[in-house]
Amino acid sequence: MKTYITFSLFLFSILFTSCTDVIDVDVSTAIPRLVIEASIDWEKGTQGNNQFIKLSTSNAYYDNNTVTDVTNALVKITNNTTGEVFNFEDQDNGLYTINTFNPILHNFYTLEVQYEGETYLANEQLIPVVDISAIYQSTEDGFDDEALEVYIDFTDPAGVDNYYFIKIQAEDNLLPVMFDITDEFTDGNLMSLYYEREEDSDINQEEFKAGDVVAISFHGVSETYSNYIQLLIEQYESVGDPFTSTPVVLRGNCTNPTHPENFAYGYFRLTEVVKSTYTFE
Amino acid sequence: MKNLVLLLMLFTANLIAQENYTVSGIIKEASNGETAFGASVFFEGTNIGAMSNEYGFFSITAPKGNYNLIVSYVGFTDLKKEIVLDKNQKIDFEIIESSTQLDEVIITAKDSERVNLRKPQMSVSKLNIKTVKQIPVVLGEVDVIKSIQLLPGVTNNGEASSGFNVRGGAVDQNLVLLDEAIIYNTSHLLGFFSVFNADAIKDVKLYKGGIPARFGGRVSSVLDVRQKDGNSKDFKLTGGIGAISSRLAAEGPLFNDRGSFLVAGRGSYAHLFMKLAEEDDSAKFYDLNLKTNYKINDNNKLYLSGYFGRDTFNFDGAFKSSYGNLSGNLRWNHIFNDRLFSNLSLIYSKYDYDLTLDAFEFDWVSSINNYNVKYDVNYYASDSFKFDFGTNAIYYDFDPGAIDPTTDTSPINPLQLDKKKAFETGLYVNAEHKITDNLTAQYGLRLSGFTRLGGQALANYENDLPVAYNEALGIYEAGNEIGETDYESGDEIKSFSNLEPRVSLAYQLNESSSVKAGYSRTAQYIHLLSNTQSVTPLDVWTPSGKFIKPQLSDQFAVGYFKNFKDKTYSLEAEVYYKTVDNRIDYIDGSNLIGQNNIETEILNGETRGYGLEVLFRKSKGDLTGWLGYTYSKSEQRTLGGKAGGPGINNGNWYKSAHDRTHDVSLTLNYQLNDSWKFGSNLVFQTGRPVTYPNGEYNYEGVSIASYSDRNADRLPAYHRLDLSATYTPKSSATKRWKSEWVFGIYNVYNQKNAAAISFGQNRETGANEATRTSIFGIIPSVTYNFKF
Repeated sequence: MKTYITFSLFLFSILFTSCTDVIDVDVSTAIPRLVIEASIDWEKGTQGNNQFIKLSTSNAYYDNNTVTDVTNALVKITNNTTGEVFNFEDQDNGLYTINTFNPILHNFYTLEVQYEGETYLANEQLIPVVDISAIYQSTEDGFDDEALEVYIDFTDPAGVDNYYFIKIQAEDNLLPVMFDITDEFTDGNLMSLYYEREEDSDINQEEFKAGDVVAISFHGVSETYSNYIQLLIEQYESVGDPFTSTPVVLRGNCTNPTHPENFAYGYFRLTEVVKSTYTFE
Repeated sequence: MKNLVLLLMLFTANLIAQENYTVSGIIKEASNGETAFGASVFFEGTNIGAMSNEYGFFSITAPKGNYNLIVSYVGFTDLKKEIVLDKNQKIDFEIIESSTQLDEVIITAKDSERVNLRKPQMSVSKLNIKTVKQIPVVLGEVDVIKSIQLLPGVTNNGEASSGFNVRGGAVDQNLVLLDEAIIYNTSHLLGFFSVFNADAIKDVKLYKGGIPARFGGRVSSVLDVRQKDGNSKDFKLTGGIGAISSRLAAEGPLFNDRGSFLVAGRGSYAHLFMKLAEEDDSAKFYDLNLKTNYKINDNNKLYLSGYFGRDTFNFDGAFKSSYGNLSGNLRWNHIFNDRLFSNLSLIYSKYDYDLTLDAFEFDWVSSINNYNVKYDVNYYASDSFKFDFGTNAIYYDFDPGAIDPTTDTSPINPLQLDKKKAFETGLYVNAEHKITDNLTAQYGLRLSGFTRLGGQALANYENDLPVAYNEALGIYEAGNEIGETDYESGDEIKSFSNLEPRVSLAYQLNESSSVKAGYSRTAQYIHLLSNTQSVTPLDVWTPSGKFIKPQLSDQFAVGYFKNFKDKTYSLEAEVYYKTVDNRIDYIDGSNLIGQNNIETEILNGETRGYGLEVLFRKSKGDLTGWLGYTYSKSEQRTLGGKAGGPGINNGNWYKSAHDRTHDVSLTLNYQLNDSWKFGSNLVFQTGRPVTYPNGEYNYEGVSIASYSDRNADRLPAYHRLDLSATYTPKSSATKRWKSEWVFGIYNVYNQKNAAAISFGQNRETGANEATRTSIFGIIPSVTYNFKF
């Protein structure tokens, strides 16, 4: 809701944005911090045994193409209910993998990462997701009546709070687009999400056309993750929009109990996910 | 406080000892019958005098004798009249303008704009609308709010931001009054233009501090805008055609010269700035001002004034939005006797915001309404003692938002956020007291009260904490709701009251200089919720209550004032220090829109600020203008308090968004000859505090910025130069039609001032980059004005 309404303000601002340009701005660089991208995503209809976790460090803002992989860490996940322990294997490239993970819906898990004498801990629940009921295309909605949109329909379960995270990666785009959705205003309804790609010559982007392929992942997430990813998306997408909130430090759930100020960026999430691709006709 | 009340009584007790008589009356402009606010009336050779009030009324009292009474209002010819003061008498004056051109040239500024050495009132800036009209403005659109930003101590967040900031305060801390009605949003088109149509405005007064006791409800400033009464002599049409809008105002006498009226309208063109050039899209604004008055008899006069303004945006097939203010005021001036003037006002005002998102099939509406009754009395007790007192009561109705699906197939469920009701009261006394020939004091006391009324339910929270610190994650989160309490309509949810003393002193050092000092305490009971970098039209007002405390401000100021060379030049220098308690601050990631339980997103913080303001003005001659300089600091801090944890920004003080270290403005007007005059503005100010990234990391395949402490960085400094030239074709004195051309260039050297700098990943290359949004480059404009 907030996204929609603030988005309308963003449109106002486009009106007046007589000019945006890319400029050189010096920014400070903080001491590097550990980044834990522990996204345990269980694809519906699979065993979910193969999982990986990525560790890296933060970097100077303009050096985002530099590799900052973290190796020699110890990574394990424990199922809080069953006590089962899953040790992840260091692949020496920042990835830590396992092929015996056992996902159980609604169970709580604990992540423990040991790196350079510090211990990082996180707790999270594995959240289920409903099926996508349909994926199709149309030109009817969106901000351009002639541009193609891809639609993702699903029915929100009534009477419970549900949080979703959707990622769409067009084959010919470098970067994905991300959406966070809650059922705060839409509980129990058939929800229809669409994505229309705007033509933008600055970045060599065209509207969708027949033959274009998009990969869709549709996750059920926890409320705390939803809060986190909502803020992350808002801050990530805010370029050129003077009506966004003041940006803030993004804190995930990976804490450092001994030295709380040394918390890690990133998140330990456990989601059920529906993955699909769609080819425009 | 008791002492002050006692003092008041002492002073009133020994008032009338001598055999004194009073002259009272109304001062008007001869050409159009507009009452003159701030004209000075005095007995020649004495320092017995008075200023006319908002309705042109004056009263002066002196010992029995023969006097020459002088009425002086610069820009107008002095009026002198012999008075034999052996009885009380009522005399109305009509003063004649020194020049009768359209928008006559201010060779001399209005007296009221000049430094008044005797009056203890400080931290006040008055601009006559004729001065405002001479300042070059963007696209030739005369703008009250933009003009006051050229004064020391007043800034805003740049071209695309609504409202203005006074002495480091926030936009919602300004009380903006249009003919006494509260205006909640002063901007059209998100801040590009203000809602005040210059053709309908008589004068503008801004109190940056030392707010008189008759005003209450905001902690930073009062902007008191008064509409014209309308020409009571002749029917006149005034208008203009500009690059942004066209204007037309009609005024004239009514009811056999017992009254007059003014109707002014302004409308912008439909496709302003339209880059998206879709046929059915539009962005426009319009407003309508109305004023009329009726004189029942010499002692009773009625005024009716109204304002209606609206912005509408329409993007075909995507969304429609419309918002604006509506206000009305019915006033009754009653003169009890030659020393006692009163005014009763019944005021209504409203602001609403409506958004229809066709693309998502829902409609969003929010509004604030208030009904206000106000009664003010001026008592001219003696030549050394003037006394004001009064009361007011405001009933507020807040609708923070309702969502309605617009189609049967809409995925959105209807929702009404809890409506809120509140009642605000004020009771004040204020005395202006000439203690010795050199020392004048103004002291007052306001007793304000606020009651949040029932008719809604409020959530209860675990441990009574709407926001709780999550120790493990190191973040603030919404508290756990444990049921709710239902408050019946008529129940009192929470009440507050505050005593607000306001004191100022003026000590005249010599004929041309004085020092002044003041202290004021003010309380603010309603708050605008906004966590965006600029205030937006959809931000919602919320009352104090169970979870939100009233803001309380203390301000101290000291100033030095001097006139040079027969009042050709003046210098004003002030320093101030102020603090505000209970300023709302927003937790990281706060979500305010569509939020029924605002208390779960905020903490109560505090702000502090200090500054030095210097204003050097030249108000006579062919070249007039001013140089203003401000050095200031404004900071805020929000501790965790009951919610636990260190607080926002780790509980450290941080720069408020309105902090500007340096702010310089130079405004010049030059009268070349009868046909040509020129104006210029030069503005420089330190960039706005912002938050920049201090690193990045990879997550979900994209580069995520990590941000530093709040407002730790600054945008680049803001500066620009504007020029204008006004050409008035020669017209014979007998011709009614008068016209002028105004040519303007805004931002002459095309400075790309950053309204915002945002950081993100280039979607084609993946590289991180900084993007500057700048609003106006160089903009030439032409406006044609006429008067008939």
